[in-house]
Amino acid sequence: MSVATVPDALSARFAAIVGEKNAIWKPAELRTYECDGLLGYRVRPAVVVLPGSTQEVADCVKLARELDLPIVPRGAGTGLSGGSLPSTGCVVIGLSRMKKILDVDLENRVARVEPGVINLDISRALAADGYYYVPDPSSQSVCTIGGNVAENSGGAHCLKYGFTVNHVLGLTIVLGDGEIVQVGSRAGELDPLGYDLAGVIVGSEGMTGIVTEALVRVMRTPARTQTLFATFPSTDEAGDAVSRIVGAGIVPAAIEMMDRLAIEAIVLATGVDWPLDVGALLLMDVDGVDAEVEETTARAREQLEAAGSIEIRAPKDDAERALAWKGRKAAFAAMGRISPNYHVQDGVIPRKDIAPVLREIAALGAGAGLRIANVFHAGDGNLHPLVLYDARIPGQEQAAEHVAGEILRVCLRYGGSVTGEHGVGHDKACYLGEQFSADDLETMMLMRTAFDPERRFNPEKVFPTPRLCGDKPGAYVAHAVEISGEAGRG
Amino acid sequence: MTGSLAVAGVTPRDVVTPQTIEDLAGVVRGLHAERKAFAFVGGGTELQLGNAPRALDTVVRTSALDRVIEYAPEDQTITVEAGVTLAELDRVLAEHGQMLPIDVVDRERATVGGIIATNAYGRRRQRYGTAKDLIVGVGIVRPDGVRARGGGKVVKNVAGFDLPKLMVGSLGTLGAIATATLRVYPLPASLRAVALHFDGAAGVASAVAALVAQRFEPESVVVYNYGALVVTFAGTAGGVDAQIAAMLEPVAAASGCVDATELSDLERESYEQRERAVRRDGEWRVRVVAPPAYPVATLGSFAASAPLAVPVAYPLMGIALHAHAAGDAPPERHLIDLRENVAAQTRGTGSVIAHAIPDVARPHVDAWPTLLPAQYATMRAMKNNFDPYGLCNPGRYIGGL
Repeated sequence: MSVATVPDALSARFAAIVGEKNAIWKPAELRTYECDGLLGYRVRPAVVVLPGSTQEVADCVKLARELDLPIVPRGAGTGLSGGSLPSTGCVVIGLSRMKKILDVDLENRVARVEPGVINLDISRALAADGYYYVPDPSSQSVCTIGGNVAENSGGAHCLKYGFTVNHVLGLTIVLGDGEIVQVGSRAGELDPLGYDLAGVIVGSEGMTGIVTEALVRVMRTPARTQTLFATFPSTDEAGDAVSRIVGAGIVPAAIEMMDRLAIEAIVLATGVDWPLDVGALLLMDVDGVDAEVEETTARAREQLEAAGSIEIRAPKDDAERALAWKGRKAAFAAMGRISPNYHVQDGVIPRKDIAPVLREIAALGAGAGLRIANVFHAGDGNLHPLVLYDARIPGQEQAAEHVAGEILRVCLRYGGSVTGEHGVGHDKACYLGEQFSADDLETMMLMRTAFDPERRFNPEKVFPTPRLCGDKPGAYVAHAVEISGEAGRG
Repeated sequence: MTGSLAVAGVTPRDVVTPQTIEDLAGVVRGLHAERKAFAFVGGGTELQLGNAPRALDTVVRTSALDRVIEYAPEDQTITVEAGVTLAELDRVLAEHGQMLPIDVVDRERATVGGIIATNAYGRRRQRYGTAKDLIVGVGIVRPDGVRARGGGKVVKNVAGFDLPKLMVGSLGTLGAIATATLRVYPLPASLRAVALHFDGAAGVASAVAALVAQRFEPESVVVYNYGALVVTFAGTAGGVDAQIAAMLEPVAAASGCVDATELSDLERESYEQRERAVRRDGEWRVRVVAPPAYPVATLGSFAASAPLAVPVAYPLMGIALHAHAAGDAPPERHLIDLRENVAAQTRGTGSVIAHAIPDVARPHVDAWPTLLPAQYATMRAMKNNFDPYGLCNPGRYIGGL
């Protein structure tokens, strides 16, 4: 194979818009963009462009339309469902250069940011003023707001405060004809006019257009945060504790659960002093005004004890608190300590059914001879079973895939969902047809094509098609930042 | 009886009341096949909202769709048919110490479908948000009679496009809301309110700023008639007590109010009644929406001289409500003046929406502000995709959608 040294005609035309150094066409450089956090699939795009402004994005979209190329938007590439997986012959529009916080308006409690801004950087920029951006996916130190908007990202503290969609008030988006449209709130006003287009774009997985600016809500940091850490003999008691807390009308900021295998991996990887002889652990935050936090924490303790907790600890300072959460956020990366490979699943069930569903999941694993670790957003009923396998053993990878799929079917049987935060993307398009009817999906397509009638943005994602559903997925491989422990998942 | 069901001044030729959701779908399929124009009506508490529809053959009432489908108190979710009234919902939820914290004018009449379609809210939006924040799933009947669902019954879910969000505030122009799954909240253990009275607007603003600075978490913050600031706290007893005490002493003193008192339950309810009256009684009723820093609480330009002029403002949300009788002056001029005033002061980011317009004035004013052309084009595309024949509430919504 000869190595190209000058851009082909197509790449040259995009380079004319974004500048030569921001158009990527050399095969070796394109490799980075062949996949996102779903590493089992790789597709080489025709060209990758990294525009630096809304106008450049619009010009790229117009050119792609002229050339009739599919467009795949991309943020940091940390997505776990293949939302940024290229389509054959597509142009990938990467937003990584558009990373400015354009404006912070604390009087109106909003910040205007470009899509390439890293989630955590907003809170960092506001910390001195006592404000923060609430949604906190475990990848928040590397993932970008544009990607969060596409996926409607969640995070541990969404239990009390809602998801990305509840914190994005307005958007600027480039549509399929290159038109630049501002939707939703312009300056923090709470009732934007007309249909809630911003509410539809958030979570549309890059299929409505390319977001080039977001107006996000920022909030006062709570007056106080109290963390509780409770251990249980098994996930039965821990699941019961979650049901009791939610049922008692206690609204903590976060409730996370880890089972025995997850605890073992986290202890090995991070050295936190969690006990290894327990069946499950809950990590919980209560926040708000001082007296309220004290009373709510006391009530939560009662429920934890009533459910059969072995030990309850309350970190005494911020350092201890941070350590406990570090353990949680490193959970997925830690799996490497106990298994050569793992498949991460993301499904949702009603919160009252955690215990029985975890038992069914364990039975599925046992039936296939595979171990399953659980580390998840228990307060939301958002499961993250990690199906452990060894790819060197013939058949195990396929078995893990099969078990992961069956777990989604268990979620659906309990009235849940096939994804709580990782998105449908490429990975779960075939399961969407099990959750929704053909009429439901057709209605969603009506929503999509109001923005993108030519279906140019992220084709072949989310909606099940026979071609897509014939594919066989590959092995899960940890993302570089996950291996380094810099960021976790879920 | 169809006269009482006039939609923004237009009386339908007939009214049908389907008994089941399957019936509802059948009725809509029939109307669609005959290319009849139709509108959905729940409790009929917001029939004045919006512009007069261009055509209206049939009103389809959702009042008989009044079943609770599934209530999971331990999951804090409830799935209901659209015609369930908020009063009925209150009764069902209260049995398990829970509530749907959306404030409406008349809980005996307002329905779940109606609050979603109109995105109704009041003072407690401060704490709980609106239907947009509480809805987790929806079942609709499209304008062509096809039934479809979006979202689900779990509180967290990103599978598929967010049909529930699209339906919130769509005013029946994209189809009928047939069922909804809502997130509900625990009834607070303690609920207390204080009223601070001020001579001037500066004091109100300073008290509100103090609330934010001290990281208080009020359930609602309402300014009545430019001078009375009512702050309600809901939560655990100790948390509420501490915030009430702080409001009555340091905050009151620092903001220079002339009088600060805790309200009895009766007094608190009386204020809430005033809020509902402003949302119900005037022949003209408008809502001003601006970025929160805009001093809506002091906005006094909407027909301040007219009889019954009563403003209610939510100062932390940048929202004010005004109601007044039509009076003698040409009222459309007031609306136009108010729009110009708000636009100028907010550099185009604020807007004024009319919730009620006297029939005589309807031909002269638009209930909605003007959309930017590109926004309009996308909303028009959405409408055309769902309702290509323009049968559902045609012309009632913003931009003639």
